Formats: sequence, structure tokens, C-alpha cells
Amino acid sequence: MFSTPTEVGEALARQRYISTDEIATVVFLAAQLGKPILAEGPAGVGKTELAKAWASALGRPLIRLQCYEGLDETKALYEWEYAKQMLYTQLLRDKLSELLADCATLAQAADRLAGEEDVFFSRRFLLPRPLLQALLSDEPVVLLIDEIDRADAEFEAFLLEVLSDFQISVPELGTLKARHLPLVLLTSNNTRELSEALKRRCVYLHIDYPTLEAELDVVRLKVPELAPGLARQAVELVQTLRELDLKKAPSVSETLDWARALVLLNARALDAQTLDHTLSILLKHESDLQRARISRVVR
Amino acid sequence: MDDRLIQFIAGLRAAGLRVSLAESQDAARAAAVLGVRDRAAFKSALKATLVKERDDGPAFERLFPLFFGSGGPPLIPPQQALSPDQQRALEAALRALAGDLSRLLQQLAQGQPPTDEELARAARIAGAGRSTEPREQGRITRAMLRQLGLERLAREIAQLLQQLEQMGMSPEGREAVAQMLQANAEVLAEQASRYAGQSIARNLVERQPRSFDEQGLLETPFSELTEAEARELRKLVTRLAARLRSRAALRQKKGAGRQLDAKTTLRANLRTGGVPFDLHYKKRQIKPKFALICDISTSMRPVAEFMLRLMYEMQDQVGKARSFAFNDHLEEVSDAFLLHRPDVAIPNVLTRIPPGYYATDLGFSLKNFVDTHLDAVDRRTTVIVLGDGRNNHRDPRLDLFERLQRRSRRLVWFNPEPSATWGQGDSDMLAYLPLCTAVHQVSNLAELSAAVDTLFTGR
Repeated sequence: MFSTPTEVGEALARQRYISTDEIATVVFLAAQLGKPILAEGPAGVGKTELAKAWASALGRPLIRLQCYEGLDETKALYEWEYAKQMLYTQLLRDKLSELLADCATLAQAADRLAGEEDVFFSRRFLLPRPLLQALLSDEPVVLLIDEIDRADAEFEAFLLEVLSDFQISVPELGTLKARHLPLVLLTSNNTRELSEALKRRCVYLHIDYPTLEAELDVVRLKVPELAPGLARQAVELVQTLRELDLKKAPSVSETLDWARALVLLNARALDAQTLDHTLSILLKHESDLQRARISRVVR
Repeated sequence: MDDRLIQFIAGLRAAGLRVSLAESQDAARAAAVLGVRDRAAFKSALKATLVKERDDGPAFERLFPLFFGSGGPPLIPPQQALSPDQQRALEAALRALAGDLSRLLQQLAQGQPPTDEELARAARIAGAGRSTEPREQGRITRAMLRQLGLERLAREIAQLLQQLEQMGMSPEGREAVAQMLQANAEVLAEQASRYAGQSIARNLVERQPRSFDEQGLLETPFSELTEAEARELRKLVTRLAARLRSRAALRQKKGAGRQLDAKTTLRANLRTGGVPFDLHYKKRQIKPKFALICDISTSMRPVAEFMLRLMYEMQDQVGKARSFAFNDHLEEVSDAFLLHRPDVAIPNVLTRIPPGYYATDLGFSLKNFVDTHLDAVDRRTTVIVLGDGRNNHRDPRLDLFERLQRRSRRLVWFNPEPSATWGQGDSDMLAYLPLCTAVHQVSNLAELSAAVDTLFTGR
């Protein structure tokens, strides 16, 4: 564990993640207070990347739960392995008839079988999904719940119990408590408003598009092959594009893709032809491309 | 420290943020962990634990320095800025001019800040005791400085420098004195500004935030809302919509009348030897499609605004929604909502079509709709008309309305007037009524949200 926010920032930097002071402080606080982080912000500003960097900075495994519409408890938490239970029943048939051989009545046999029920509803047949994995893991983990805004409101409500008590009740087994408190990071692209209850339980982090210098640092770090002058020009262009009223503003990850493309194409300068060929990496809507051309940000 | 934090949270609440008790505990713990030494880290810690809505960020940024600012930087003492000779010369000049110079200049020259009483007095006269508006900080600061005598300062400095020249001080020495005085004047301005800000912050906390009775507000007729109540109600809409949204989502999932999908069920249960543990249902395209036709004449504006807000908040539960606004003619306004957030889009829509009394022409607007936007309506669309049905005695065009009814899945009318007045005066409501699938009275937000809720029942 780290003892100051600065140490967190340095550790993240060693994982090639450039954090702001605010990010480092919030990450530090979350670990100190034992609270989940809720990171909101536009797509592609490095919210998921933060979880990965954090996990490797701490040397902990990262368990990821990708949310989507229709995600439910069986996919997020646990499932009974019916097939395995069935197979065991089949294979143990002889043993079972041996066990029940001296039963006089059906009721007696049923009682005896009930005595052995634990065998079939044990952890052996429990298939843990990401949330349960994170709780039952032998070593402390970082749990990433990605794009929580895509999951339904009910799933969000269900998550509240897990995130506040770090325990889960499985009817057949009783309550399972976390061995180690996992560090949790939830991300949201803000496609819908999250419930206040969830927000209350988290420390909140808003990650916005980086400033020019910060983005330039990221490009220099991740695409060192790009000539410094060109890198600055490219990042400046991206920053201007974000000012336009676009359907989808270019994200940091798209800036990096573009920078890599410029390297591959051996571009020397951002001339009209290079831009024409590569701009579709930054702007994914035809109308955005047109708007960028009309506004003369790119010729 | 804790007192200051509690005051700050009270200030945030007064500014309209919703801060829960649990969150204020978190903030206190966070402050304890990080300490107050590193101001930036302390600020991030409070922000992360107290501000959970992006829109609340500016209020936090505005209030934070008011509560956690220091009294400002200290004045520069002459011992630091001037050589001993220069200091002695300055003291002599001050003594020589003692009768003519103001107290302020003497204080600045000696590096002494005004006493608390002096600041408090200036603030009181500047009106800082009453203000609860952070944006008045600048005005109050200027008034305080005037009160302290900053206006005469330039003339007096010139006088002092002249005296120093006569006493034979070198140009460099006079320059150093002038610079020190100038720097101290700026420091003083900063101190006054902080003082003004802090007293505004104190007032903000002491002023009891007007608490609104939520239920009462929901049931206040739209036509009787004051501007403050409307503002409060707008915040409520978001939470109301969240409630409606989860109800709608549940209904879509658990609604009666779903059909077993035998093929998928068999496939999914192969691993259990075909014993159907896990049932699968046919997916229905249940997200409803809407065409919303809104009357935005002057009398209808408040209700139209809330209707548009509610519909916008429900967007993720809606398959496709197109909205139209009319007064004397009809225009499509969907694009405003595609491009902007509702706070921008709604005023935008309301200004696009000019209001006017006695201008409403529902018949002509229906004709506009049928002529140009009929593609918005198919047999899966619910058409919602939001209006009072007052047509200024013009042709109601029931024939067109009937066409809409036949073409759509449902034709629903929302009317803000009490049902007793329908059909009175120029209201054509009773003529339209038989053609509607349902008619709802929506005079307040409670009724409006109940009516919107019925739109999502799927039947």
C-alpha cells in the first residue's frame, strides 16, 4: 500500500499511466477509506486503463466485469454447475444405491438422501463469476466493473449490497464474506444517470479529456517513434477538433491510434493528403468529417 | 477544522447540492487521512467525497475558496523591501507629512494590515452583511477598498514621493518605496476580497435554504408555479424520471404475456439433459415509439416544458421518439434534443416558435403534421397530443385527427385543464375526445408523470 497520493502517482507512472494529481488523490483515498471509485467521463480517456495500471502497480490480479444490458446475477455472481452435478449423480449412482439399500420405506430413503444433500450443493459445484471470484480470491484483487451505466437499474441495486458489505448470500450455502477487501473501480460513460444510492457509496472521480500538455505526454510515452514536432501538431489538431460540436469527439485512445498510423505511414508533416487518408481514424461519423472540413480545422 | 467542514457542507447544501450524512462522514475521514497541509489534495479529497454530479462541480469550485481560503497573503514589511537608510528616510517623510496622509497609507508603508475592526467596519458599510450571492464578491470588495481609502492613495503616494525627493532620496530608493506601496496595495485588495468572500459564505450558510415540500410541489398546478418552484421542480423531474424508468424497464422484462421460446430453451438446457431448468422467452421489441405533438402557446409553456423534460429523461426506454411543437403552425423539434442537453434544448425550442395569445391553430397544425411528417407515425407509434384543445373557434380538422387515429397504435391526449372545463368556450376537447384511445388530465407534475407512466404499459 502507498502512504501518500504522490507515491500513488509515481507508481501509476511506472505502469506507463500518466495521472493527474486529482486521480492520484482519489485512488489513494479509495484505498484508505475502503470505498469503491466511480470514474465517469467521456469514452476513451483511460478509465479502464486506470484500473489495469492500478492493479499492476499493486501487483494484484485484475478481475473484470463488463456490464451490458440484460446482465444478471447468474452472469455476474455465481451459477450452479448443473452439468457437473448431473455427471456426479450419474457416476455415483452405485454408491447412492448402496447408501439407500437398507432403507425400508421411501420416506426413509428420502431422509437419508437429504442428509447427503450438502455434497451436491457445495462450493465444488459453484461456478464463481467475476464478483464472487473477487470476493473469494485467496489474494487481494482489483475489481473492475466496466461501463456500469449499460447494466440495468436492478443490477445496480443488487450491486449495492456487494459494494457496501462485501458479502453475498447464496441460499444453499449461507453468506459468503470477502476474504480480502477488493479495491473496486466502477466506470461509466454517462449514457444514463446512475442512482444516487450507488453514487453515495463511492468516491467520485470525473476524468475529462486531458490538457494539451498532458495528452502530449501520453503520446510521447506510448508512441515514442513519432517525431516531437509532429506529435505536438497532431495533438493540437485533436484538441481543436474536440472544440467543434461533433457527434463523437476523438478520444485519447484514438489520438494514440492516429499517432501510430502517422508513424506507420512515415508522415513528415500534417499535409492535406496525410490528413485526408488518416482523419477517419479520429472521426468515425461522416457528418463529423464534413464538419471538420467545413470548419477549416483541417483543409 | 471539523466546524469549518460542517459549515462548508451546509454551504454546499444551501447552494443546492444533495449531500448525505454518509457522504459528510466520508469527507471528514478523507480530510483526516490527507490532512490540510496539501491544499490541492485536500480539495480533491473533499470533491471526490462530496460532489457526485458533474453539474455540481462549479458550485463546489466557487464555495471552496470562500470557506478554506486563508485571510490572504501578508503585507510586505519595509524591513524586507528597503535598506535601513531608506527605511529611516521613509519614516522621517511619514512623520513630516503626518497630518496630511491617511491612515491607510501609513499602514501600507509600515507593512501593517488594517485591523479586524477596520475590515469589519468597511465590510459592514459595503453591505457584506446581507449578501448571499457569491458573484457580488467583486462589488463588495471594491466598496470595501473605497471605504478604506484606496481612491486617495495614488495622490498621497505622489505626495510622499515628492517629500522623499526633497529630503534627498535617490531615484532608486523612491522607486523601491513606490514598488513596495504598490505591492502592498494589491495584497490589501486580495485580503479585502477574501474577507468579502468569507462573509458571503457565512451568510449563505446562515440563510436557511428555502425548503420545498416535495409532495406539495408535485401537486401544484403548472399555471401557478413561481420561478423558484419551477427551478426546484426541474431538479425533481430527473429523479421522477429515474423512478419511471426503472418501472418501465421492469415491466418490459417481467410483463405478462411473454412467450416461451422453445428452440432457445432446448438449446440452453442441453447440458442438463434437456430438463428445462432455464427458461428462455421470445424477445419482443417492446420499447415504444412515440410522436409527441406539443402545444407551446403561452398558457401551455410550463406544462410543455416539463413534458419535454420527462420524455427526454426517458429516452433510453424509448425506441424512437420524434417531437413536434406548434402554436399557429407546426415544426419538428427532435433535432434540438439530439444535439443538446435538455437545459439548452428546451429554451431553444420554446424560442424557435414565437408565442402568442389567441394564435393557436390546432387544425392547421394538424394539417402541417399530416402533410409533412406523417412518416413519423406507423402502426407501432403512440401519438401523444399535449394541448388544451382550445382552437380559437377555428376548424378542428377532425378528419385529419381520425386519420392519425387509424394510422397509429394509440392516440393519447394530455390536457392540463380540469375536465370540467373541457368543451367550454373555444375548447374542442369534447370533439376530439371520442377519437382518443385515452385522455389524461395533467395539471401538475404528479398527474403528468402518472400519465407518462401509462405510456409504457405496453398496451
